Amino acid sequence: MSQRVDPTLVLEIEKFGKGTWNECFHCGNCTAVCPLTEQGFLFPRKGYRALQMGLKDTITSSVEPWLCYYCGDCSSTCPRDANPGETMMILRRYLTSVYDWTGLSKKFYTSHFWEFFAIIFIGIITIFLLLFANTAGIITTLTADGGVMLDKMFPHDLIEKGDWTMAVIVAGLLITNIMRMWWKTVVKDKTVKVKFFSYFTEAWNLVVHFATQVKFNKCEGKNYWLWHWLLMSGYVLMFTMIVVYLPWFQTDKIYNWYEPQRILGYYATFGLMFGLVAVFIGRFKKNNEKFKFSHITDWLFIIMLILTTITGILVHIFRINGMVAATYYSYIIHLAILVPMIMIEVPFSKWSHLAYRPFAVYFAAIKKASKK
Amino acid sequence: MGEKKLTGIYFYNPNGHSATVNYSEIAEYVKKNPDVSVVWNSQDISLSDNNKVVEKIKKDNLKRIIVAGDMPGMVKSYFTKAMVAAGNKPEDVFVASFREFGAIRPSDTERAKAIMACAIEGVSFDTAATTEEISLNPDTLVIGGGIAGIQASLEIADAGQQVFLVEKSGTIGGHMAMFDKTFPTLDCAACILTPKMVEIGQHPKIKLMTYCEVKGVSGTAGNYKVRILKKARRVNLATCIGCGSCAEKCPGVAESEFDAATTLRKAIYIPFPQAVPNKYLIDAESCTYVQKGKCQVCVKVCPVPDCINLDEKDEEVDINVGNIIIATGFKPFEASRAERFGYGKFPNVITSLEFERLINAAGPTGGNIVFRSEDKKGRKIFKGDSEVPKSVALIHCIGSRDENYNKYCSKVCCMYSLKLAHLVTEKIPDAKVSEYFIDMRAFGKGYEEFYERIKHEGVRMVRGRTAKVEQSGTQLLLRTEDILGGNLLEEKVDMVILAVGLEPREDAAKLADMLGIDRTEDGWFMESNNASNPVNTYTGGISVAGVCQGPKDIPDTVAQASAAASRVLQSIVKGKINKSVKDLSLSQIESQVKKLSLTEEKI
Repeated sequence: MSQRVDPTLVLEIEKFGKGTWNECFHCGNCTAVCPLTEQGFLFPRKGYRALQMGLKDTITSSVEPWLCYYCGDCSSTCPRDANPGETMMILRRYLTSVYDWTGLSKKFYTSHFWEFFAIIFIGIITIFLLLFANTAGIITTLTADGGVMLDKMFPHDLIEKGDWTMAVIVAGLLITNIMRMWWKTVVKDKTVKVKFFSYFTEAWNLVVHFATQVKFNKCEGKNYWLWHWLLMSGYVLMFTMIVVYLPWFQTDKIYNWYEPQRILGYYATFGLMFGLVAVFIGRFKKNNEKFKFSHITDWLFIIMLILTTITGILVHIFRINGMVAATYYSYIIHLAILVPMIMIEVPFSKWSHLAYRPFAVYFAAIKKASKK
Repeated sequence: MGEKKLTGIYFYNPNGHSATVNYSEIAEYVKKNPDVSVVWNSQDISLSDNNKVVEKIKKDNLKRIIVAGDMPGMVKSYFTKAMVAAGNKPEDVFVASFREFGAIRPSDTERAKAIMACAIEGVSFDTAATTEEISLNPDTLVIGGGIAGIQASLEIADAGQQVFLVEKSGTIGGHMAMFDKTFPTLDCAACILTPKMVEIGQHPKIKLMTYCEVKGVSGTAGNYKVRILKKARRVNLATCIGCGSCAEKCPGVAESEFDAATTLRKAIYIPFPQAVPNKYLIDAESCTYVQKGKCQVCVKVCPVPDCINLDEKDEEVDINVGNIIIATGFKPFEASRAERFGYGKFPNVITSLEFERLINAAGPTGGNIVFRSEDKKGRKIFKGDSEVPKSVALIHCIGSRDENYNKYCSKVCCMYSLKLAHLVTEKIPDAKVSEYFIDMRAFGKGYEEFYERIKHEGVRMVRGRTAKVEQSGTQLLLRTEDILGGNLLEEKVDMVILAVGLEPREDAAKLADMLGIDRTEDGWFMESNNASNPVNTYTGGISVAGVCQGPKDIPDTVAQASAAASRVLQSIVKGKINKSVKDLSLSQIESQVKKLSLTEEKI
């Protein structure tokens, strides 16, 4: 298998985060200390080798960076302080941009201007659309149980249309990118000839690892899995409720605490806030290897999600307490943060890992099954 | 003096750490010099922008530039380029290295000023900082009785000069006495060392002071007064006949230092059968009488009257010497610090030093490689009748080449690991032996050949250092990336030997302070110049030899010890010794610089 050496590869990847790959002297400690490596899937050291040698095809055809859940054991025991864990993170950012056919991902990752411009631009469009859609304006009359008529101000059938438009765009981008990922990592990987049946026999991996991130639990002695899972499950639940079940979720009725709308909503909010606060404090204090380095996109992701959650909570509080204007504006702000966050983060940036990670595990399983 | 030279000075402090000379004080000092027109700090100019540097040179019409600081050679090229671009001569960029001339710590700021004074006048520091010669006491003190101290003492004593050899423990011999074989020739270490030890013991010109420590040093080069603590041995060296009846009956036990704690010894003991002096001593910490006030069994059974005095107290004596050679050696890296390798947790993870004793015919098992077992009281020791391992793994670089512990390479571990691997195959021919290394550093004469030889003996070499060791049943599970094979290895072995690195001794800092010498960042004693003078220090009359100056193997240690002895003999033969460069004051160097620059101008 021959490939062309790209001497500019590290310069290109450096734009996605300052790596210390020149420090590595290839002792193999990181690979061996990692609880997730297995025969055939060796990282992070092999990635360092490819980086140092400029083997671009090797990097773009590897699923290994996605198999890493960044527990930080490799970084804390690295005899060269070469931060292998962070290099895996940088490679994930780079790969996200490689999979993305629009080229926007690279722009968002490497330019603050593009990132902030895109967020603000989509935010403003969202506000504009909401004001345009809301022909009724602020409705001051309250419902019989004293709540705000939110669903009258922002009718759910209209919002739902917007939701679905957004979901279709995002899913379309993500699916095409996954196709490219598959093309690069499975089809173009000449080291393995994939058996067609393994696509079906290994499909369970996709579901299990999307839903549970069970591999995270292998990172020994740390409770990352729990708060990550709370965050993930809260997010997925909320996303499903506001996109798929909006007419059921967004109503003017004030539910009792034991009804599913409220219980599920509270669970999702709790999961989100718990996970987010843990990450925020971790990144702020740099209290472990995992959080030692924070890229601007890491911060944006957390801050936007925290703001979305808080404004969501505010909408809820204002609505059930009959605070009309506050509900109206907080709802607009809520969506003006939520929409750009999903539009930018999910297909182009950090959140794409919700798809790439389980798919990487799936592709790895296919490769493994085919090698047998 | 001619016209003003218009010098620019740039300070380069690459590490930026606080424990350096005081840069701002030095800047103030050089600003007073009329020849200096500008002084820059690292943050004042961005060197990457060549045009800006050129502009600055032109603006002040600078004719010379001095780059000063720690390792200033790193940035010299920027100024050479800029000077040419500004229409000046490239050779008018000078370098003034603080570190090169021993100005390292905040306390060395005066020295750094002197270095600057020399640089501004274009006089070499070595020429300006010559010290006067004074007469000296021809006696020499050697601190440390390992192979370095033994070699240096013998060289000097054989030339007919008096040597005081001070050793902390009860016998000379040091670490070399503990080793089974030497690499790459596989000679018996004791066969080389013990004749030298005996020679030391019998030499009329050597006053051997074992179980003694240096407490304090005063005076200057050529005339040092050294206070020595004679720890209470509690056995009379002159009358003890070494019969051993005391140790037979003694109830106190402790881990044997000589056997690297692989076995036990009595409280009254001879460190090992070939010890010099071959006399008993009492370890106060394990002696029942010293600890509890009752026992005296040894006194009762001793056939020599008044030989054992359990109430003996520590004494202090003063000796006068002209030269001091430091040969204090090293301590092995504490393997339990690197928890992942399981030392201290799993009994069959052992250090290389323990293994040296295990494989030694005079060791705790009579040279049998066996598993660690427990004695009746639960102490973990080695017993000759235990089971024999079938597979042995050697893990390299434990505590060396690692940012988490010691950054440096300990230099000897690769080679001794090869030696130990050979010894395992020799003793257990069907054993599987593997070495897990980062790089195989076979750096010396016959060493690469030795590596090839061991490979051909069937020892498996894996490039990739093991990352963790775990217990798995009765065996140990090792996880390693086999880099050359492209495999992830999860292998079970019976015994793991950790190739621990070398570290400065705990008391190295204390000794350095006492003698007024420097240490490197890693803690090794600092020689005055690594390439041209690796034995003298900046303190006159004080030399270093062996591992205490930096990790090295036995041949290098012996060579350096002989070199240190030759420096000492040089001064004794001349009858004169140079005073310390350290003792020169700034004004003395300044006046010397003035004299030198005047003579230059006359020429």
